[in-house]
Amino acid sequence: MSGEESKVLCHIDDIDEGTTKGFLENNAGQDLLFIVKVKGQLFAWRNACPHVSGAPMAWRKDAYMDAKRQHVACHAHGALFEPDTGMCIQGPCLGKALESIPVYVNQAGMVSIRVTDISLLY
Amino acid sequence: MKIVGLETIVFGVEDVASCATFLTDYGLFPVDVTESGGRFEALDGTAVVLAHASDKSIPASIGNGCMMRKTVMGVADVATIEAITEELSKDREVRQLADGSIESTDDSGFVIGFQVTTRKELNLAGEISNVPGSPFQRPVNHLAVNDEIGPIRPRSLSHIVYFVPDPVKAEAFYVERLGFRCTDRFEGTGPFLQPAGTLDHHTHFLIGAPPFMKGVEHFTFHFGGPTEMIQNGSRFIEKGYQAFWGPGRHIFGSNWFWYFNSPFGCHIEMDADMDLHDANWEPRVAASNADTSQTFLLRYRDKWAPGKDTPHNGDYE
Repeated sequence: MSGEESKVLCHIDDIDEGTTKGFLENNAGQDLLFIVKVKGQLFAWRNACPHVSGAPMAWRKDAYMDAKRQHVACHAHGALFEPDTGMCIQGPCLGKALESIPVYVNQAGMVSIRVTDISLLY
Repeated sequence: MKIVGLETIVFGVEDVASCATFLTDYGLFPVDVTESGGRFEALDGTAVVLAHASDKSIPASIGNGCMMRKTVMGVADVATIEAITEELSKDREVRQLADGSIESTDDSGFVIGFQVTTRKELNLAGEISNVPGSPFQRPVNHLAVNDEIGPIRPRSLSHIVYFVPDPVKAEAFYVERLGFRCTDRFEGTGPFLQPAGTLDHHTHFLIGAPPFMKGVEHFTFHFGGPTEMIQNGSRFIEKGYQAFWGPGRHIFGSNWFWYFNSPFGCHIEMDADMDLHDANWEPRVAASNADTSQTFLLRYRDKWAPGKDTPHNGDYE
């Protein structure tokens, strides 16, 4: 993504395996996106449940996983999503998917998002 | 049947510690809580009960990821327990438990229990506003706001909202078998239901939903007034918890509301100042939408104040 303005979100090691971290918190204390780490890979999703348009998904800051740490969960109505594909496998939005957000990891392990993609989150 | 309201709601969860922290931060008192669960009580002793998901002493999960295992209603006396036992025994099993309560299943498949209520009577004034001309005023030199006040406590378990696959059948069970009445109705969604032993606008609200959604939409406790509710909700957000809807004020029931995500796979609400109705009340019917759901809707934002440190845009988005 050379030449494009980007914003650094974190270092890849800041997110533990099987956990999530939220970014770009708004004035209401809610993240615009969150990243989940699965088998060392990062997957970034918009913090918006496909069940209720724009509904925030965590139950506490950064807490997007279910208690078994197997699925991303919407803590509004309990929908479960595959962390790597974003597909809903249980709950009111069964068959729908989370919106993927492109993020990039450089050789130093810094995780970033293009500024133009941030503007699309608002 | 003198069912006075909800007594306890039982959840089976994988992460007892996180759920315990959540309920304590909400304002409930932990009572006899261990790493395997315990009670989280409001001021009147009504409670959420936590147990580990694998605990065989609580009813089995209904599936769909629903963590609510049982809804216990409080009744006025032993005669009511006997009347419910007689009524429900006509077509389903009614189990007598060692603690004197009974347990059965409603027509949606939710496990329900009944016990003689152990609610403590509260003698604690709610929020009183100073209003010119009103005969009810806050005493002189009594302050309405205390920003330094310690934990704000829920008063009483208020209501539960179920997603049910057949709302007509679900309503008939509560009305025809248990003596509830419909106080208001969202057409095409479901009824607000009030048992005979309380004047609260509703202790149950039923929402028609596909079978794969059967479960709980939310549960909530009454707080002492809108100031307590909003102060508590603001503190909850400042601790990192996530608001879903509100604060605002409903039209049906008039209760102030603020809904939050929870680790229970459903919402938890904080509510205050619900209408009371008796048998003279004529139920209203409305389509369920944004205009009929609330008379106004507000939103949390970080605190700011106009002054010398105000950003150039006045801190407006």
